[in-house]
Amino acid sequence: MAAVLGIAAHYHDAAAALIVDGRVVAAIQEERLSRVKHDASLPLRAARACLSYAQLAPGALDRVVFYENPYEKLERILMQTLRHAPRALAFFPRALRSQLGHKLWVLDDLAEQLGVARNKVEHATHHESHAASAFFASGFDNAAVLTLDGIGEHTTTAIWHGRGETLTPVLAQALPDSLGLVYAGLTAWLGFHVNADEYKVMGLAAYGTPRFRAELERVARIEPDGSLCVDASYFDDFLDPDRAYGKKLVALLGEPRSPRTPWQLGESASDQRYADVAVSLQALTEDAALALAQRALRETNCDRLCLAGGVAHNARMIGELARRSGARDLFVQPAAGDAGGALGAAYLGALRAGDRLVTGLPSAALGLPCDPARAAILAQASGLSATRKRDPADALAEALERDQVVGVMSGRWEWGPRALGHRSILAAPGSPATRDRINAAVKHREPFRPFAPAMLDTQLARYFEPTHTLLERFMTSVAVVRPEARAQLGAVTHVDGSARVQSVDSASDSLLAGTLRALERRTGLGACLNTSLNVAGEPIACDAIDGIDTLIEGKLDALLIEDLWIEGPPR
Amino acid sequence: MSLARRLQSRATTLRQLLAHLVRRGRFVLIPMVIVLLIGSLLLIATQGLGYVAPFVYTLF
Repeated sequence: MAAVLGIAAHYHDAAAALIVDGRVVAAIQEERLSRVKHDASLPLRAARACLSYAQLAPGALDRVVFYENPYEKLERILMQTLRHAPRALAFFPRALRSQLGHKLWVLDDLAEQLGVARNKVEHATHHESHAASAFFASGFDNAAVLTLDGIGEHTTTAIWHGRGETLTPVLAQALPDSLGLVYAGLTAWLGFHVNADEYKVMGLAAYGTPRFRAELERVARIEPDGSLCVDASYFDDFLDPDRAYGKKLVALLGEPRSPRTPWQLGESASDQRYADVAVSLQALTEDAALALAQRALRETNCDRLCLAGGVAHNARMIGELARRSGARDLFVQPAAGDAGGALGAAYLGALRAGDRLVTGLPSAALGLPCDPARAAILAQASGLSATRKRDPADALAEALERDQVVGVMSGRWEWGPRALGHRSILAAPGSPATRDRINAAVKHREPFRPFAPAMLDTQLARYFEPTHTLLERFMTSVAVVRPEARAQLGAVTHVDGSARVQSVDSASDSLLAGTLRALERRTGLGACLNTSLNVAGEPIACDAIDGIDTLIEGKLDALLIEDLWIEGPPR
Repeated sequence: MSLARRLQSRATTLRQLLAHLVRRGRFVLIPMVIVLLIGSLLLIATQGLGYVAPFVYTLF
């Protein structure tokens, strides 16, 4: 019976996850509390928040497990430098500062900052943490596990066989054969931020024609056995930390897109060309992942598949795997990227402590709750009108029916990048004008990025082609909207007819489920537009103050915090 | 945490690092690591270190 804290940090999306007696108690990304998007620093706020939720003192922790091996990481960097000397020497001082300044000492820092004995702080390995986070959260007894990432210590891609409480490595690919780094390099070439904007490439892909597949085959080739072979010379051997692609890629695909130029799809031939490269990259990614998934299923003799690692956030790729891999069930851990490594490290620590795991993840609501009494005080101080609602779900459904855009804070906030109705902005799903209003006032997104729907599970089959409930529960896959339903879901259907739908359990007592049931009674359609409660560039809201800030800054019509209805400022 | 405990903690990390390099047979890296660690101690002493956020992190 142990209390184990898992930690991910120092690259991007730092997080902490707490498991007590084999059960996941809390999991929180540091950015939610520090309010710094993709915060990579040691997640002390998140760790303390997890402990506070569980009413544990740091001294009560039996283990703290860091999600990767800092020694193996340093070894790789030194070997890379020797291998690519003298070219790599130009970047070596920065790499060294980063490693010897902080990263090598991460276990000491955790012990010191958390007040835990050093001998209780240990490490796991990067891909094993990802694999554990996916397999043990899936609730499957026997499954193939595929971890797809930029890079861990040495590994870029791995296949595991999960059985009961064991994870057996089956296959590992190392640098330079990394699907994640290829996607990152092309993301940078398209003018987006690496490790943050990869989902924009996915949205952009819907506007293109895959006419650059042959060129990209030269960059990354799928071998007959399903593995990926990358020609790293297109990325200058992945050495330059400021430029994710090389001159050879520019010679192959042309000049990179300037990040500062506004997108003009449909008007600019060069933007159309970038969309064509985006969809070619997306097609390569889907085919490479499909080959790996089929190999994973074959080698483990399983018909269930779990995925984690940053590439597993590619919902369009997951949708293709659901349709084409032959897997009976798929599961993607909701925080599939590096943050999720904290959860995997905590699972591994609990196993090392001899605990039996309570597997499966019934809900992603693993953050902290919001206090409506405090919100009422803040609303009053901000000069906003606030009233208590006897039936908040019905009040919310009525507002959505009147085409209002409403922020929602209900229960504990979500684990992972998707807002699933606990910290969401909701609106009617039909009108593209509503979508455009949210885009203009709140999100300031590129015009090619779609919004997602939330829908009662009982209605999914009527509006979508066959789906995988496990994927849609955490919004980790895209599904195809039936052609006859696209007008009704006009605000949430992407230009290619897809939507990253969230399936909501119709029997749930959550506010979102209650609202969708009320909408179904009122309109016949138990669905709404669901996007995260934040304005552009901000992490998703967690506390009342963040929600009220978003209400004002995002010009929302109202904000519902549990049963407290706060009207937006007059416009 | 007292200075003695902090030094003890750092010594644990160094011991684990050296054990890792030996286990992996990376003997060639051991003198390199020792020189770099001495250099980093100097950098720490002169406050020359800061957090470096990587863009692409094969070298980080």
